[in-house]
Amino acid sequence: MSENAYLQRLFQRYYSEKREDIPKVNSFEKREFGFIPWNKQIMIRHLAFRELGDLREKLALEGPRHVYSSGTLYEEPDHLDMNQKGYNGCDLIIDIDVDHFFTPCKEHHDTWSCKECGLTGKGMPDKKCKKCGNNKFKNVAWVCDKCLEIAKQSIVRLAHDFLLPDFGIQESELNIAFSGHRGYHIKIENEKMRSLSSDGRREIADYLSGNNISYEILGFKSKSNNIYGLRRENIGWSQKIMDKIEDLLKGPSSDIEHLLEKLNFSKNKIESFKNSKDVFLHIITSKNTQNIWAIEGYSHNGWITFLNGIAKEIGIEIDEPVTIDIHRLIRYPGTLHGKTGFKVQELTLKELDFFTPLDEPKKNLDPIVFYGKNVNLKLKIIDNVIPTIKIKGETFGPYKEGDIIEVPNHVAVMLLSKEVATLL
Amino acid sequence: MQVLAVQIELINHYPWLPSTKVIYSDILSEKPREFIKRLFLDYPLDEIYERVIRIFGAAFENKEEILNYKIDELNVYLYLLLKILLSIFNDNAIANRIANLYSKINYNELSIESDFVIYEICRDLELDILYYENPITYRIIIAKNQREEIKTKFTIHFTDYLNLAASMRDDFRKLVNNSLKNGEVFIQKRDLVRLLQEYVRKKVLSRQKLDKNSLEKSRQKLFKIDEFKQLHDRILLDWEKMRDDHEPLEFQWGEDFELTEIAPPCLKHVLHKASESQNLIHNERLFLVFLLHALKIPIEKIVKIFSTLPDFDRDKTLYQVNFALNKKYTPHKCDTLKSLNLCMAEKYKDELCLKGYYSIAKDEERKVNHPLTYMYVKQYRLSKTKIQDEMNKGKNE
Repeated sequence: MSENAYLQRLFQRYYSEKREDIPKVNSFEKREFGFIPWNKQIMIRHLAFRELGDLREKLALEGPRHVYSSGTLYEEPDHLDMNQKGYNGCDLIIDIDVDHFFTPCKEHHDTWSCKECGLTGKGMPDKKCKKCGNNKFKNVAWVCDKCLEIAKQSIVRLAHDFLLPDFGIQESELNIAFSGHRGYHIKIENEKMRSLSSDGRREIADYLSGNNISYEILGFKSKSNNIYGLRRENIGWSQKIMDKIEDLLKGPSSDIEHLLEKLNFSKNKIESFKNSKDVFLHIITSKNTQNIWAIEGYSHNGWITFLNGIAKEIGIEIDEPVTIDIHRLIRYPGTLHGKTGFKVQELTLKELDFFTPLDEPKKNLDPIVFYGKNVNLKLKIIDNVIPTIKIKGETFGPYKEGDIIEVPNHVAVMLLSKEVATLL
Repeated sequence: MQVLAVQIELINHYPWLPSTKVIYSDILSEKPREFIKRLFLDYPLDEIYERVIRIFGAAFENKEEILNYKIDELNVYLYLLLKILLSIFNDNAIANRIANLYSKINYNELSIESDFVIYEICRDLELDILYYENPITYRIIIAKNQREEIKTKFTIHFTDYLNLAASMRDDFRKLVNNSLKNGEVFIQKRDLVRLLQEYVRKKVLSRQKLDKNSLEKSRQKLFKIDEFKQLHDRILLDWEKMRDDHEPLEFQWGEDFELTEIAPPCLKHVLHKASESQNLIHNERLFLVFLLHALKIPIEKIVKIFSTLPDFDRDKTLYQVNFALNKKYTPHKCDTLKSLNLCMAEKYKDELCLKGYYSIAKDEERKVNHPLTYMYVKQYRLSKTKIQDEMNKGKNE
């Protein structure tokens, strides 16, 4: 039996046994569904279901590799012509995926190879291949508790620093889900937000990420050789930036040093900043101040670089196209991710705080549905290098091509789903 | 019975308000043909002609005001007539000009309304607006010894804000540069009025999309009313007369080529938008000015291109175009255009942009990395074709 056939049967059995675990999302019958089957890499779109039972039945019957539904509501979600579907608005979707941002541990567990010349490397590939200049790579990305923790913290910050206080969104409107692989998404179900155009959604994406801020509009300006900075009293991004600067100045000097180094400031400038730290803190926190930002070596451009660095620390690295696109499909909650076999796990904001996807103690929140400590499978590794994986408190690997291994069911499902091993 | 959110005077003043449907439900339920017939019967023909032609005339000349603009009951009827005419013309350039002018007029009128009237208008539009009797402070500007508190009486829910402001693509109106708290954007009255202007502009532009046949049928039906046909023909005649003046791509570049022949898709795209009086975003404006300066296009011609834009202000444009010239800004490279999302190579599948060209001097295939390079290559190719054509012609003769 081929690996895919094996996995498909496993998925079919799961969907048969766990029918009740597949939830019904709001406006279920108005959403478009899409499946990716096991036998080819294409998305079968334009599907719709009147009843939840129909979906559950289809899942049990076909056990698809990936299952998606639209954030968009349509009059006729199964119409083949997008223009004839009858657009009824779209939920706002925010996707945070480790694939899109740097984490130090990627150097240990992610690999890439250039599709043109075959050059290989670890971590994230450059924009273009160093050897041949091609920009297409084959990436092998691995789940890792550190990466997932960073993604989780981004979701927590997104909710607590942006969505709830700034956008006034209710916690009950947030539908958070662990994607089953390398990230999380939030679907915001809010009637008013459904009317937003792509342009409007782009504005929200910019607000969340801090892209395209104009510091001049926020109040930063140079006048007569003086630089007048931002103020904390100014609601919005100005306040966020000033809060962050205040925290930075109140913290250890090493934090300042670390940030300024990252921004490529010279040693002299870093020292100069550190020496002026207390005076600067006084200027930005005092009410009776002229608000002149004067640190030796910092010109208008220097301050802009600094502010950009601060904004980057505050902003959330979201997958912007997902937020902007009004016809995007996202993973359906409760279904399985075909690259890991993990479940797309819905979570409340409170549950998210303590959620540890690779070692979740609460059974009802555990995305590793094929957990089988005592059920071992024998596999042959067919990929160059498999990094060390820590899952359910146990460490597996590293493995190399040709290794014959015996691992618990959930690890085997993951390795087979990732197509780096074959059944023996 | 529906309750009116605003006074009837306001509806005469601003016929695009939703409450118009309540007060004038009788005429709005009529078919266009009946409505027009009744209009010509109820009101003096001369006055209708004069006022409508004045509006179109001002729009065609890119004026920012309409002489003797009247606010009365007929104003409501004329607004509806205007919308019917626009859908019969079915011409984006005409529609944009009318929408720009009409929204500007309304901006000027709204600007002098009291805060409370603005609030009432927003309510009628079902905008989620909060009105504060006592202004609230949301920003402080400190420079030297001056401390200025920025206050407002208005906040607007971010969804309504974005539905109106996002398409304007203006840095000042970007959400990230504004004060947002609990879902409310703090907004000054003048900015709120500017959003209302945008609402009016979109409202004038909104029209039922008809296919060719249906449009022709509607036309024929309405043209049976002689007065309407005459009015329509007169406006069309005015438009055709003005058209030459409004053709922004008439100027020549180099010796023998029109700009449109050799312009890269990025430039064509922006010029087309301008010619249709669509709004240009900040970066598109910069790109256009810098490139046209590099092509040594006369200043008055550059200003003329901008004169069709919804927010055109001659003095400001002249100042900015001159400023860019004095500063000697260089035009954007292809890489910059790509990063600004202004590159149109993929959209228009332009072969020269996508595949590059063969450089005889360097004896190699090269990529186009600058719009100016594109134009030189295109000019070279066209001149070669022209010489070849002339040679062939000579042979044949």
